[in-house]
Amino acid sequence: MSEHHAEIYRYLLRATGRASDADDLSQETFLRAFRAHRSLPPHANVRAWLFTIATNLSRNYYRAQSRRRLAYAAVSVTLTETDGAGPDRMTISRETGARIEAVVSRLPLKQRLAFIQRKIHGLDYDAIGASLKCSADSARAHVFQALRKIRQSLETDEPSGEEPRT
Amino acid sequence: MSDRPSVCDQIEADLLASAIGEADAATTRHVGAHLDRCGSCRDEFRQYRVIDGAVVGLRSQSPPAGAVAIARERLEARLLDLRSRLLAYRIFPSPFGDILIARSEQGIVLIEYLERASLGASRLSRVGGVEAVEDGEEVEALYRELRDYIEGRTTRLQWPVDLRFVRSDFHRTVLQATAAIPYGAVISYSGLAREVGRPRAVRAVAQALRWNPLPIIVPCHRVIGASGALTGYAGGETTRKQKLLTVEGVPVIKARRDFEIARDAMYIRLPDDTEYCLPSCSSVVRLSGTHAGCLLFGSRERAEAAGLAPCTTCRPDLHPLPLRRGAMPPSDGPRGRAPGFSRSE
Repeated sequence: MSEHHAEIYRYLLRATGRASDADDLSQETFLRAFRAHRSLPPHANVRAWLFTIATNLSRNYYRAQSRRRLAYAAVSVTLTETDGAGPDRMTISRETGARIEAVVSRLPLKQRLAFIQRKIHGLDYDAIGASLKCSADSARAHVFQALRKIRQSLETDEPSGEEPRT
Repeated sequence: MSDRPSVCDQIEADLLASAIGEADAATTRHVGAHLDRCGSCRDEFRQYRVIDGAVVGLRSQSPPAGAVAIARERLEARLLDLRSRLLAYRIFPSPFGDILIARSEQGIVLIEYLERASLGASRLSRVGGVEAVEDGEEVEALYRELRDYIEGRTTRLQWPVDLRFVRSDFHRTVLQATAAIPYGAVISYSGLAREVGRPRAVRAVAQALRWNPLPIIVPCHRVIGASGALTGYAGGETTRKQKLLTVEGVPVIKARRDFEIARDAMYIRLPDDTEYCLPSCSSVVRLSGTHAGCLLFGSRERAEAAGLAPCTTCRPDLHPLPLRRGAMPPSDGPRGRAPGFSRSE
């Protein structure tokens, strides 16, 4: 179970935008999972189940925070590149990536959580729907809506040169 | 979007899906054909491709390793603490009433007869420092073994136990001595007090058994009054005691006020002896009626299963006791089934 810790932490960091909250909520996710894992069916998808717990916690967290509006920029999500994509490709998309993070952090919660689960963590729509207590189709609609908003805002934002102009 | 052709509006979702690689082949072809004709949709498609590519870049980013490691360390510490506190339990129906079985990672921690089938009726809801969670299959397996034991299909429960609910070292000593009473044998409270080296602490011994967190496993039902009366068990329920002893082959009779064992129908092991005797054996008669400290066995088989040899003076092997009339039958079923648990679960 704990092999998923880093990934859940990463998910919650994007979902909440704050390292301290990602820390707290990721711990809560695993403590809950530990209490409940005995009642899991034998072939359950543990990873998707952890995402569901983390998603529920994120939503509760936002419900609790709803009175004071959290304004945070994606830059507060201190992500650094580790490896993977080659430098050329990175330079092309790095700034676009930062701007996407900024847009994502301002998306409505369900769209944001659906988008992160789908596009960053690659979960399928059934799992995303289960985590958000909606259908797979609705989960897909959330992701698409997120992509539309990202595109629109990249289009209207100050273009920084590396993306095609329309 | 308002002033663009309706065909573009209609194809928008498919366009998005194929740009991010989530469309099937037919849709992709259909979108491709449209893109060949429509410049603005082509631009839109390219933008989604760029976004998708940038998002792939985001996937390979991760938070500073230090932050994750710190979070991980804190998690490990809290998990360790949780594991030590977490007790998995389940409540099962039985003719003894509802029984709760709870286990920790170390072993069985509590067996409890409940007034009603809810955690609120259990000690678990009142003790500090533990967290009870309802369990699935692990405890279920224990229950099946316990049922086999109660119904006489097996005579041993080899479970690891966790004695965290034992209240004191003295209680622990008493429970350890109780656990050593063989299957099918009984001893008096005063006999047990002598066994633990505190012959005058009879009441304290009874108190320790009253708080036995592991009845049946630690067979406090095998400890009886000096008179032979079964006396209090798990809150005065001598019926449970009678059922458990009957399954073990101990002759129990219904006396005027309570159940009692049929002492004259039992074989006797004198304190620290390695042989078992008839009640009429001269070495027993010399005790002038007091059986304190003696183990009483319901049958020769049980005495011998406990490693005892027949006395060479009274020869219980040659003159076995007649089966006592009036004793409770060893079972209530035609096939030797004890008053059992319902098989329908």
